[in-house]
Amino acid sequence: MSDIVLEVENLQTSFFTRAGEVKAVGGVSFEIHEGETFGLVGESACGKSVTALSLMRLLPEPGGQIVGGRIILDGINVLELTKEEMRKIRGSKISMILQDPMTSLNPVYTVGDQIAEPIRQHQGIVDRNVLEDEVISALRFLQIPAPEQRIHDYPFQMSGGMRQRVVGAIAMSCRPRILIADEPTTALDATIQAQYLALFNDIQKQTDIGILFITHDFGVVANMCHRVAVMYAGRILETAATSTIFKAPLHPYTVALINSVPRLDRKVDRLYSIEGHPPSLLNLPPGCRFAPRCPDVMDICYEQQPEEIEVEDGHTVSCWKVK
Amino acid sequence: MADGLLLECNNLTKHYPVTKGLLQRTIGYVRAIDGISFEIERGKTLSLVGESGAGKTTVSKMILMLERLTAGNILFEGRDIYKLSRHQLKREYRPRVQSVQQNPWSSMNPRMRVRDIVGEPLVVNTKHTRRQIRTKVLELLEQVGLAPDQADYYPHEFSGGQRQRIAVARALALNPSLVVLDEPVSALDVSIRAQIMNLLKDLQDQYNLTYLVIAHNLATVRFMSHTVAIMYLGQIVEYGETEYVLQEPLHPYTKALISASTLTLPEDQEQGVEPIILSGEMPSPLNPPPGCRFSTRCPVSKDVCLREMPELKKVENRWVRCHQ
Repeated sequence: MSDIVLEVENLQTSFFTRAGEVKAVGGVSFEIHEGETFGLVGESACGKSVTALSLMRLLPEPGGQIVGGRIILDGINVLELTKEEMRKIRGSKISMILQDPMTSLNPVYTVGDQIAEPIRQHQGIVDRNVLEDEVISALRFLQIPAPEQRIHDYPFQMSGGMRQRVVGAIAMSCRPRILIADEPTTALDATIQAQYLALFNDIQKQTDIGILFITHDFGVVANMCHRVAVMYAGRILETAATSTIFKAPLHPYTVALINSVPRLDRKVDRLYSIEGHPPSLLNLPPGCRFAPRCPDVMDICYEQQPEEIEVEDGHTVSCWKVK
Repeated sequence: MADGLLLECNNLTKHYPVTKGLLQRTIGYVRAIDGISFEIERGKTLSLVGESGAGKTTVSKMILMLERLTAGNILFEGRDIYKLSRHQLKREYRPRVQSVQQNPWSSMNPRMRVRDIVGEPLVVNTKHTRRQIRTKVLELLEQVGLAPDQADYYPHEFSGGQRQRIAVARALALNPSLVVLDEPVSALDVSIRAQIMNLLKDLQDQYNLTYLVIAHNLATVRFMSHTVAIMYLGQIVEYGETEYVLQEPLHPYTKALISASTLTLPEDQEQGVEPIILSGEMPSPLNPPPGCRFSTRCPVSKDVCLREMPELKKVENRWVRCHQ
């Protein structure tokens, strides 16, 4: 396989609140290769977005803190960088697309200005004409029609799908090695979502960029990702190639999650539903975090956290049931 | 009128005037809904599907009488609801048609206890005593899977799924015939969605409820509904039994929607299952295209599509609005 661009090892992120330490991410490891889309799937509050923010070192301060682990981006240990060094990497080597294009653009600047900002910052281009050409090519790269006119538009003059493309153009403007996409299509309509995802598949073929795709939607995972990690209450429970996750999932949570999604190609009378709720991150159970809701729970599950086991090449599971 | 028909909508139309200047001159109309007809049988579920701006929610508002019709009529048990007197509306229509909103974080008063939220329709519409209301509220909570001791909690003490259960309990308080569910699960997490959808189905079987579901997720629709109407820019483009429409779609827009919501694994893509990607976006309802409204994005559009609006025609087992 091609080179590893991003390696995350035992990442732990906590929020220190008045009520105590909230362990939002409790030891997460994965790696992303060149030209690969790696999916991070889970329900709300499972730690997907905090993982993304930790990679960007954009955790809300004070409160949010990376308490352990390593993040290696292109050979650089991100956690050892100073703030100034991190600023230089952010946007040029690693960039991010947020969920809601309505709030991630500045309403009082034209989209052209907003795309120009990272180019000016990271590539030191100040000549207006050169900058404008760069901005136009960034918009064209995201297949925005008539970019010459569009650069003078303000965000409110664009539709949601177009705005999300602008956000994509900003993220891609300096050709980063890693792109983090945090639920980029959740706010978009179905046919617009299909357009956007197809566009990303195109872009990846052209640039060999590694994409960390965060989503709760298994449909999007199937269409986009090469490999997937399923997250629950701050930990990764299972990692495998996308087709393995769908065809031969091993962790009871993965199985339950896939079965609880209604399918267009199947008629069922009842959906499988997982009873109960995810545990509070303030007060985690000592054993497996899924144990209280697990249909196959055993005594040991309540006592000890299961180790991650590699069942076959590229397929790892943390579950006592799996030997 | 067929015996089992509960709701019949004929040629619903809603145009919002667009005004300009000091004198508020009307310079045009937003054609939010343009001639929509459908019917729902008692105890069945109809889903209205479409992207934002298609007019789904406007239709539901007209049925809930939160918006007035520009043209057309709505028959509830054979009676035109816009011809009912105020008194009849309050007594005979509104209590029998209830709704559950999309976002359980904004559909409840944060200062009211669950007991009062669920009991409010009873206070307003019935002459029950306090004690009767109390018992009824506890019954309702039990039906939707909440514990009776949670009745004194406030909404913020519940998770999203539990709040949606409270909203369902409130909608059921008056034993309605029709419940309008506006994206009932789209704000919820995957594992919670399944719980709520199962609950809604169970309640339907138990009380012979009729649902009008507004949705954009076709997989949810397939699970929930008996009939489905696919909407695009204020019109129905395909309408029929869910199984027929979703298994063998005829309209190109339905096909594209289905393609967009089908799981395609990487190896399926290699086997040549090409996803249908539509170009462009939905045009503005202020200035819809002259011919077929979908013609600007349709992968198979012909000359006639750009000139003439196709009629909604019966094709085999469903209705389709397409020249082809």
